[in-house]
Amino acid sequence: MGDTLTVLGLESSCDDTAAAVVRQRDGARPEILASVVKGQAELHAPFGGVVPEIAARAHAEKLDICVEAALAAAGIGLSDLDAIAVTAGPGLIGGVLSGVMCAKGIAAATGLPLVGVNHLAGHALTPRLTDGLDFPYLMLLASGGHCQFLSVEGVEDFTRLGGTIDDAPGEAFDKTAKLLGLPQPGGPAVERAAEAGDARRFAFPRPLMDRPGCDMSFSGLKTALLRARDAVIAEKGGITVQDRADLCASFQAAVRDVLAGKARRAIAAAPVGLTALAVAGGVAANRAIRAALEDVAAEAGLPFVAPPLALCTDNAAMIAWAGLERFRLGARDGMDLAARPRWPLDEKSPALIGTGKRGAKA
Amino acid sequence: MDPAPTILAFDTSAAHCAAALLHGGRIVDERHEAMGRGQAERLMPLLADILKDAGLGWGDLDGIGVGVGPGNFTGIRIAVAAARGLALGLGVPAIGVTGFEALAHDEGGPVLVALPAPRETLYLQLVGGGTAPRHLAPDEVSGAFDLPPGTRVLGHGAEALGQALGIMALPRPLAGIAPAIARIAADRLGQAQPRPAPLYLRPADAAPPADPPPVILP
Repeated sequence: MGDTLTVLGLESSCDDTAAAVVRQRDGARPEILASVVKGQAELHAPFGGVVPEIAARAHAEKLDICVEAALAAAGIGLSDLDAIAVTAGPGLIGGVLSGVMCAKGIAAATGLPLVGVNHLAGHALTPRLTDGLDFPYLMLLASGGHCQFLSVEGVEDFTRLGGTIDDAPGEAFDKTAKLLGLPQPGGPAVERAAEAGDARRFAFPRPLMDRPGCDMSFSGLKTALLRARDAVIAEKGGITVQDRADLCASFQAAVRDVLAGKARRAIAAAPVGLTALAVAGGVAANRAIRAALEDVAAEAGLPFVAPPLALCTDNAAMIAWAGLERFRLGARDGMDLAARPRWPLDEKSPALIGTGKRGAKA
Repeated sequence: MDPAPTILAFDTSAAHCAAALLHGGRIVDERHEAMGRGQAERLMPLLADILKDAGLGWGDLDGIGVGVGPGNFTGIRIAVAAARGLALGLGVPAIGVTGFEALAHDEGGPVLVALPAPRETLYLQLVGGGTAPRHLAPDEVSGAFDLPPGTRVLGHGAEALGQALGIMALPRPLAGIAPAIARIAADRLGQAQPRPAPLYLRPADAAPPADPPPVILP
């Protein structure tokens, strides 16, 4: 009979305030006892993107309320916990700080151990929470803030095989929506519009596909979309619903081709013995992209693992789980735990180009 | 209710980590560490030291007092988030105290309190006057408040404000901000308290996008 651990997780690194409780008996499948996520989409909507100060303000006043809600939903008290896990970076620093300080307060008050978690490790370890994957597996993390291929070799052992050198694909979907007068978040809106569109009408670039390696770029694609849109506007004085559908379909096809093409290369570059190709992040919810990645996995003879959407996008269950995995390995953080805006998961591989003099962001 | 509650109070609203412990009716410890950054790393170890030196534990606290600003946005969030986490973990109230209230704590009668804000501006409140705090440029202060007779001015740039408004300026209190927060929190213990929330007084710096969406043709 294994040792049963129950861990509270807190997440506040972008625009979702979240708290969750995960329990696992050693060797058995983990169980999510509660997962509470309070989004802030309505606060940021007028600005066409996440405003860091607005996000930080909301987190500071919602975190403890989310924790109470998660404990109540789990039907447990603080005395039933073994540890407090919290996202300590990378992310928008105001939000990360609020989460870290709230977690420190709870940990000091209860005497429970504190475990700082890298937000990206939370995403990268989610397939073990949902599907019990064994190491090593290949993870494509594609969201509004991140895009990287990770070879996940252990709880604290990640190798970044490649990543975006500029925008994240989710950001590109949001900007596309904005340029075409579609609502935020852009991902679902662009996907819906693309259903009626012709993906071959606009020949958008497949950035960096002509270069070796697994690095990606999405900012030029956004510029190409803007030019194509403006060419249509110059001709007609606006864009029709069909033009918009065609622009969305052509854009989505370009992102799909880049992610699938680079996934193929990442599989080739990864260590032998991969157990699966797994995805995380909101972009993985796009059906066209997901279908292309499923094909890539099938070609390579690998299972394709996509956690349910609620565990693909930002949540605290993944933080509780990653914290639980770290805690089992003996990880403990002190009350001087720092919140880090930049915190690469893989500190061995060289920083991606375009990350600036302060080094890798993520 | 305990007539002499044990209260731990702290403030990181400016370039400092300040904390005080009220126990047995008096301030038994008070710390003020100047620091431009690093409050998030320093605050909890500082609080633990204070309790340890007093021979107390977290479980001995009857309440938490926290400075909610106005001041550095990140700083006031650090303290407020920690206070709310502590309150949740201990099952005791966390009580938010503004910088205006803390500065005016020892004064009777109406006091106009000024705190520094970015770019030479001021946060001001007429404490004891029942009016909302304001964010103003120094040359906007005259006429901005309906000052009752006998109002005195206290805080950042008090001398100059006193001259401009024709009222008496008070010297800055000798006691630090944290002891005042602790005493005010003790007075409020037992009253229904909202959860502490940062007092920003300035909106987030954000503007809606400038470029309009395209015209959608039929």
